[in-house]
Amino acid sequence: MRLAYKVALVTGGRQGIGRAIAERFMAEGAQVIVCGRGVRPSDLPTQMIWQQVDVADAKQVAGLFAFIQAECGKLHVLVNNAGVQIEKTIAETNDDDWQLLMGVNARGVFNCIRAALPVMATGASIVNIGSISGTTADPGLALYNASKAFVHGLTRSVAVDHGPHIRCNAICPGWIMTGMADSAFAVAKHPDAAKADALARHVAGRFGEPEDIANMALWLASDESSFATGQLFTVDGGLTAASPLNPNLF
Amino acid sequence: MSNSRITGHLEGRVAIITGGCGGIGQAICERFLAEGAQVVAADLAPKPETMAADIAYFQHDVTSEGSAIALAEFAQQQFGKVHVLVNAAGIEIEKTIEETSLDEWNKIFAINVTGTFLTSKHLLPLMRDTQVASIINFGSYDGFIADPGLAAYCATKGAVHALTKAMACDYGPEGIRVNAICPGYVDTPMLQSFFGDSGDIESLKQEVRNVHPMRRYGTPSDMANLVNWLAGDEARYATGQLWVLDGGLSAQVQQMRL
Repeated sequence: MRLAYKVALVTGGRQGIGRAIAERFMAEGAQVIVCGRGVRPSDLPTQMIWQQVDVADAKQVAGLFAFIQAECGKLHVLVNNAGVQIEKTIAETNDDDWQLLMGVNARGVFNCIRAALPVMATGASIVNIGSISGTTADPGLALYNASKAFVHGLTRSVAVDHGPHIRCNAICPGWIMTGMADSAFAVAKHPDAAKADALARHVAGRFGEPEDIANMALWLASDESSFATGQLFTVDGGLTAASPLNPNLF
Repeated sequence: MSNSRITGHLEGRVAIITGGCGGIGQAICERFLAEGAQVVAADLAPKPETMAADIAYFQHDVTSEGSAIALAEFAQQQFGKVHVLVNAAGIEIEKTIEETSLDEWNKIFAINVTGTFLTSKHLLPLMRDTQVASIINFGSYDGFIADPGLAAYCATKGAVHALTKAMACDYGPEGIRVNAICPGYVDTPMLQSFFGDSGDIESLKQEVRNVHPMRRYGTPSDMANLVNWLAGDEARYATGQLWVLDGGLSAQVQQMRL
């Protein structure tokens, strides 16, 4: 039980990566609080606490942390997982897109960390979900790419400003099989061919699963990683280790 | 190390650690043993008396191809296969390039780079078909940014980083993962030597500590914690990456004394 007696908050935990992290943390003994914009998912394990919160809204986030302080005292692990993706270039992006995407991916992470700091125990760990797209651009995902670069930058700042009491790292997932990946393939001319091509570019021979990211999140949440801070840890099946120009695929 | 950290996830695995008798190498050997692996410390230096009897020892010169072949034959006979290889053997030379002789340059490349190449090359056939193979190389945060007076060392670590990605790219399709860990300042004899002739060592060490967001040096067990994660199945989607573990040192711009 690597997270026994720890209290962990996972934002955007309804499905996908966030849900896998929440379940992994629970299995390792943590008291897990999960939040999302909607009502409690019917299949959420009963031991998990659900809070209906839009992380883009600072007032709602303040309420969330007041609740955590009242119910649990200190918070040991914060996972900023909530994120949205919009498949558009800058030319196609309208102001509402900006409000939605930057509200969740950038302001949401800021809101949660700012509100969490006074509630976090000494030795606490913040795990942000960045992306390989925050370091190298995915075509047609302009604001998403930029928002993840924001997350990477904020990760370093939080580590530098709030160490040694609090650690802060980001995980940069590659292509993880979630609804978000499906919607990225859906905009391709030939979604099945796009998927096969993407697969051939992964030296691991498969796409990632939410559990792959949950494994990394668990390590970063636990005391095993007590010297790790301010870093971006990529888990992408080797995708970004190889050149984007892959001569084997010509 | 509290027992709750030990999960036995390397039960039945064979692990070989070059430089296994050094500061960080020993911590890795002991962690792997605690996790249930059969462990071989492969090192030119003799096995320390303090090291657990259950850790096998093979005298290995990483710069010698004959030694790499002999290590592979030993592993083949003893275990039949190898699941985890940690290329931790390495040296540091504290010199600028003008001060570095060609012999010194060749020596550090032979140990840090050629050693990683040769041991990996000859153990790969024993790792193939295990489905769970993991190679962990030792890079350094010095492979990204320079410390003064460590020119050849920085260059060898940059080479290990590139080699790591190339190996991951070539062997990933066979299910062999390759990653590098990139330590920052770790409290080992190598660090003591780096501080060697710097005058008031204690106040210098404190100053260095204060530049770290974590306000401390890394320990060999910090490094072993990450190597342990990368060695096992929890990291099964992690390959081709350089894992910086430096207490946040390289997350910041060089600190001005304001």
